[in-house]
Amino acid sequence: MSRITIPIGPQHPALKEPISFLLTVEGERIVESALRIGYVHRGLERIFQDRNYVQNVHVVERVCGICSHVHTTTYCQGVEALLGLEVPPRALYIRTLLCEMERIHSHLLWLGVLAEHIGFTTLFMYTWRDREIVLDVMEELSGGRVAHAVNIIGGVRIDLDRDHAHSILARLDELERQIEVFVRIVQHERTFQARTRGVGHLSAEQVRRYCVVGPVARASGVDVDLRRDAPYAVYDRLKFRAIIAQEGDVWARTMVRSMETIESLEMCRQLLTELPEGPLAVRAPRRVPPGEVVSRCEAPRGELVYYIRSDGSDRPARVKVRTPTLTTLMTLPDQLRDVNTADVPTVLSGVDLCIACADR
Amino acid sequence: MNVDLILEALREGFPTDPLEPQTMPIDETIVTLTPENLRPAVQMLITRFGLRHLSTITGIDTGDEIELLYHFWDRQGLTLRTSLPREDARIATLTDLIPGAAFYEREAAEMLGVVFEGHTGLDTLLLPDDWDSGPPLRKEVE
Amino acid sequence: MIDRIVRWARRKSPWVLHFNSGGCNGCDIEIVDLLTPRYDVERLGILKEASPRHADVLLCTGPVTRQSRDRLRRIYEQMPAPRWVVAVGSCCCSGGVFRDGYNVLGGVDRVVPVDMYVPGCPCRPEAIIDGLVRLLETIE
Repeated sequence: MSRITIPIGPQHPALKEPISFLLTVEGERIVESALRIGYVHRGLERIFQDRNYVQNVHVVERVCGICSHVHTTTYCQGVEALLGLEVPPRALYIRTLLCEMERIHSHLLWLGVLAEHIGFTTLFMYTWRDREIVLDVMEELSGGRVAHAVNIIGGVRIDLDRDHAHSILARLDELERQIEVFVRIVQHERTFQARTRGVGHLSAEQVRRYCVVGPVARASGVDVDLRRDAPYAVYDRLKFRAIIAQEGDVWARTMVRSMETIESLEMCRQLLTELPEGPLAVRAPRRVPPGEVVSRCEAPRGELVYYIRSDGSDRPARVKVRTPTLTTLMTLPDQLRDVNTADVPTVLSGVDLCIACADR
Repeated sequence: MNVDLILEALREGFPTDPLEPQTMPIDETIVTLTPENLRPAVQMLITRFGLRHLSTITGIDTGDEIELLYHFWDRQGLTLRTSLPREDARIATLTDLIPGAAFYEREAAEMLGVVFEGHTGLDTLLLPDDWDSGPPLRKEVE
Repeated sequence: MIDRIVRWARRKSPWVLHFNSGGCNGCDIEIVDLLTPRYDVERLGILKEASPRHADVLLCTGPVTRQSRDRLRRIYEQMPAPRWVVAVGSCCCSGGVFRDGYNVLGGVDRVVPVDMYVPGCPCRPEAIIDGLVRLLETIE
């Protein structure tokens, strides 16, 4: 059978963000693929050098709209380490609360997108409706649905009282009931399983070769979760499990992310009920003494790394960002090999790409 | 990761390299190697210590030289630092040892003009195909 | 007579195409949010289309990067007239926080004519609906 090359993207109904692929197919089967990123490359690492540390909090938040809070968390954590600041416990609890709420939001959004791509529009509508609960809570806390501007260097700028905490807890209970429905669907619905089992398989060895992180790695049996293995913020004080699966396919990734959402809900409960009293921030000097730091957080998609070098001025000498999507992008040629063209949207959705993060 | 054992192995394997281990936040150890020994050191880290997770490669134009930082992680962080001359920044690729280094080397190549010898796919990753203004993170590029 | 029906249909049921020319995704998820139960713009007759050939309104997000410039131009040219462009979000309007990036050309009006600017970072769904409704009111 002769080979045909099909270009997909950068604008395509199967893709949420601009990225382009060249798929070489024999009949319905993909034999080779190449991908091109960079359509969303805004040159952020250069922009960071032209702004001061405080302005950069605002810019860092806009590397990616979906995981904006964990970006500012990783960045502020790094700068706070360079400044030798001790962030007050109440601030760390609030920071962690937003991290976990963002994870719930990201996973629900992702589940809806996957569902839409495999034709399960009902599940898409339900998950996106229920993620509004999370967005409402984040908006009440911070004033923003998607960009929250919660983190400042030295702590956080928002607070909540006991009544508000109770109101959030009640809504988390409501959300958990909904999510349990989704988990049951994913576990038992036969058409969902038929579309996702065995698709986009990655072995643990492939995960290690490409240094893959996050739910995609955990779905292939690689037991790494930075919140447990290198705790930051207040993760050392929370009880939670890292969710691991062995099948390594899109179904396993769905199970991992769904169960992670339930774990995150439980962590939010712990954070809200154990929230300590105290100040929200410490004063941060504008100039940062010379030094370097590597700051890592477990973003919804995996290990997010910021390397920052300071030179004594009020601007960073270098900010390097490595987002988790870069690792999963490198596995795509392997994942797409021998896959039917009809399964391409499923494979692409299964890895939860965030191209804005990858391109920066 | 057992940092002490790793440092000892590096001292034994590369006695003429500066090393000068330092700790830096957050829970990170940094050592300095010469460019020729970077790849053999990584090879040793993989075979003797099973250290395979490369978080990323940071490239910095310090004005005097091009610094490359290879950030490894296994419960703790280990960064290998090496410096290349600005006019001729070349170093051996790691992609056959760690396929996951592919994108990081491509990015350092296009942003700082580093040549990774042996890397078979050094096309631009993020920059447009018609980019002609020089590596954007080099100091002389505006 | 046919003209009046066509104008009414255009105003009552604009089909939109969503294109991200380099944004962070914040505005994009708020645009996709328009389809979901809380905002449900289908009740307003707004349908999200997959092909530029079917679209009346181009909803743009993000600043224009060098790589997106030609794609954006081509998509606009493929839309049959009359066509309108709505710039959603601050960086689509002007480049926003990214305006001095070496790979960023600025807001979307550097490449295509814009009929409605909806600022916000990110833009709320209510603001996007408001922008669309105001645009439709000007179409007569």
